[in-house]
Amino acid sequence: MTSVRLRVLVVTVVVVAAVAGALIFEALLSLGETAPFGHTQYGHAAGWVGLVVTLLVFVYPLRKRISPARRWPRGWFRVHMVAGVVGPLFIFLHSGAHYHALVPILAMLSMVIVVVSGVVGQAVHAFSLSALNDQRRRLQHEGLSDSDIDAQLHGMASQEEAFRMWQAIHAPMTLMFLVFTLLHVAGALFFAGIS
Amino acid sequence: MRYHPLPRTAVPVVALTTLVLLVWIGWGSVRSPASFWAPGELSRYHVDQAGCLHCHEPFRGPSPARCVSCHSDRYFADRATPAVTTWHRDLVAQRTACTACHTEHRGALAQITERTRTNPHGEFVFRATGTSSCTACHEFGARVATKPTLRDEPIVRQLYERGRGAHQPGRIAECLACHGRGAS
Repeated sequence: MTSVRLRVLVVTVVVVAAVAGALIFEALLSLGETAPFGHTQYGHAAGWVGLVVTLLVFVYPLRKRISPARRWPRGWFRVHMVAGVVGPLFIFLHSGAHYHALVPILAMLSMVIVVVSGVVGQAVHAFSLSALNDQRRRLQHEGLSDSDIDAQLHGMASQEEAFRMWQAIHAPMTLMFLVFTLLHVAGALFFAGIS
Repeated sequence: MRYHPLPRTAVPVVALTTLVLLVWIGWGSVRSPASFWAPGELSRYHVDQAGCLHCHEPFRGPSPARCVSCHSDRYFADRATPAVTTWHRDLVAQRTACTACHTEHRGALAQITERTRTNPHGEFVFRATGTSSCTACHEFGARVATKPTLRDEPIVRQLYERGRGAHQPGRIAECLACHGRGAS
């Protein structure tokens, strides 16, 4: 099994590359222009698109909490994961690397914490499940009994358990992200106008 | 794998932190609103403005009405050439948004006029034609940065006829070659 540290590193590199890609794209769109892309009409549109896509992520936790007795909403979980990556990438395109006001900076920081904790947690979880299953199959192939296999896999499962910390960050930080995002949108409309 | 539920303190800690930050934003918005809301530093021209609402109208953005409260006719007459004064007077009369050409919050040293358009003919052209504004001969788009076109006006036709080809588009910038040293 690849070490947990290596898996975290791989996921982190992918996340950083995606964010850097969005920022570089914004820089290219701003080249030769008098205003950064984020301050143009299209930049504002990217922000609105990012917001709408990001809001889709809330369907999954809402459905899960409103009707917990029903089947786990797998389809909405997929929407949650995709929108939770695509929406913030639009937000990065909207913001570029231009940070000045503290309110949007706080919104951006809380978004980064929510997204990174979600992406890293989910990716590590998926990798670890697949690694556990691989290991279980290998041990079964070697002819070990189920109780022996469980005993051998216990250490590995405990190691992955430590990554539950990501959920303790991911879900509650959503509150902070929502508050500061709404504040940023309200401030932008107040100072820059609705039309 | 069996997962433990979220720690009970997670949500209250985040809620309390958010509340503390909101109080800080509220307090800071009164003391130093630009730090919390402005997308960049003001230019050296506007850095001494009293507050955001000096230029921004709530939910309407930077308003021309607020711009002209400082940049009045008198302001231009005292500081600018007649052509610039007339140019701005025309735009204000047409209710053109000042932000169509001017920007802000780009830093103290930033240029605040988008692709500043200089007069390629020099002040001489106004003396020679008896006009006082670029718009007497040129039609500008909604944004000053777009290339202007010539208007079908008597003064433009007269320039064409009298110059016998010299006053064609693209050549008028060389007018000082013939009309130098104040000659008409």
